[in-house]
Amino acid sequence: MNTQAPPKEEPSEKDIIASLQEQVSASRLNLFLQCRLKFFFRYVLKIKKPKTASLHVGNAVHAVLKSWNKARWVQKPLTLIQAHEAYAKAWSDDPDGIPWKPDEEAEEKTTGWRLVNTYLRESHLPADVKPDAVEVPVEANLINHGLPRLIGILDLVQQRKVIDYKTCASNPNSEKAAHSHEIQTSSYSLLYRHNTGQQESGVELHHLVKLKNPKVVITPMPPMMPRQQLRLFKQIEAYTEGLQRQDFIPSPGMQCASCEFFNECRRWH
Amino acid sequence: MAVKLSANYSKKLGLPQYSSHSFSASVEIELTDISQVEAEVQKLYQLLQHSVDQEIQEPGFVPQASNGHAQANHRNYPSQGQIRQQSKSPRQPRANGDAWNCTDGQRGFILRIVSDNNLEKQEAEDLSQQLFGLGVKQLNKMQASQLIEDLLVKAGKPARQTRWQQRPTQRQAA
Ligand code: SF4
Repeated sequence: MNTQAPPKEEPSEKDIIASLQEQVSASRLNLFLQCRLKFFFRYVLKIKKPKTASLHVGNAVHAVLKSWNKARWVQKPLTLIQAHEAYAKAWSDDPDGIPWKPDEEAEEKTTGWRLVNTYLRESHLPADVKPDAVEVPVEANLINHGLPRLIGILDLVQQRKVIDYKTCASNPNSEKAAHSHEIQTSSYSLLYRHNTGQQESGVELHHLVKLKNPKVVITPMPPMMPRQQLRLFKQIEAYTEGLQRQDFIPSPGMQCASCEFFNECRRWH
Repeated sequence: MAVKLSANYSKKLGLPQYSSHSFSASVEIELTDISQVEAEVQKLYQLLQHSVDQEIQEPGFVPQASNGHAQANHRNYPSQGQIRQQSKSPRQPRANGDAWNCTDGQRGFILRIVSDNNLEKQEAEDLSQQLFGLGVKQLNKMQASQLIEDLLVKAGKPARQTRWQQRPTQRQAA
């Protein structure tokens, strides 16, 4: 008697596209609108690429900020030493492996910690204000609008304000940052409203800038306006309709310089 | 001295093509005694909510296509009957008695984490009080999701997908 379980069948491309049509996140939507072919490589073909150094820094920074926020929530704020330990632990958690160049890892690790250190020392998160949520996964069923389910993870919600962390290499311009991150901020506003029944008091982008002297740039934004929600809905509509048509064409541009699918893209026709 | 009490109830519902409609009703009454306020507010709330719910079931004109483009409407817009149904069952009922404020799925998940990991229900209740100052049944969807995360950690289970695991290369650009 054969007791082996039958091998699990890989979902077909059609199944993957169908499930992508049912559920959308701000990052998927952003990528789809930036370059549909890149979206296809990442989310439909699921081509794996090694993790990059800057992604690893961003992950470790986010992990320690999460621990910091969780600890102050339960009124056991972390000391800087404990925060550093949490950072070191997050840094060593590297399942994918990164092809480091000599000395690169130590330099990047220091860069990441200096970002966290600056952020915490400047008290952008006062210990006495309790968070409403820390890195919480949420979703909103948009079927009433004829749209798929929207999913997302909120980094921090505090006093009804949705806060999102970003690490970047150069100083962001507030107006441009508000525009270029609009899909994300509108999605978070919508998710917040659907999950709490309340309107957010605002959205803030906290950019931790990797300069020689690290810097924190905070971009405050008012609550999402109805026209921003409409823009988001139209973008989601374009996403579902594009997937329906299997519209996965390349969009060459500035973003290609950092695209991990450059070689695959050159072969596309 | 006469006490004036004014009450307003409004409701907004989503409609197809990103539209929505809303309706509100207000009344103002005079009371002879301030001790009547609580009972009168309760009555007015029920009256206004009932009246608004009755009327808002008729969405009237609903646009069929956006931007003047002819478009194949392959999306499932709710029928008027569905809209009526939704207006009768708001998404986030206030928790009373045995009702939970979060979704049925979240309720089931919380109960499953507790039973599968030999946790006491009281531990979930205590965690909920510690984080939100509310009982588990009172939590809204966002709070319930946070509680689920923390219960999983308490039970020694890996939390659900973290944001950066979910989005493998997002941070580079961010
Ligand atoms: S190289 Fe440019 S056009 Fe090609 S997939 Fe990447 S982003 Fe798109």
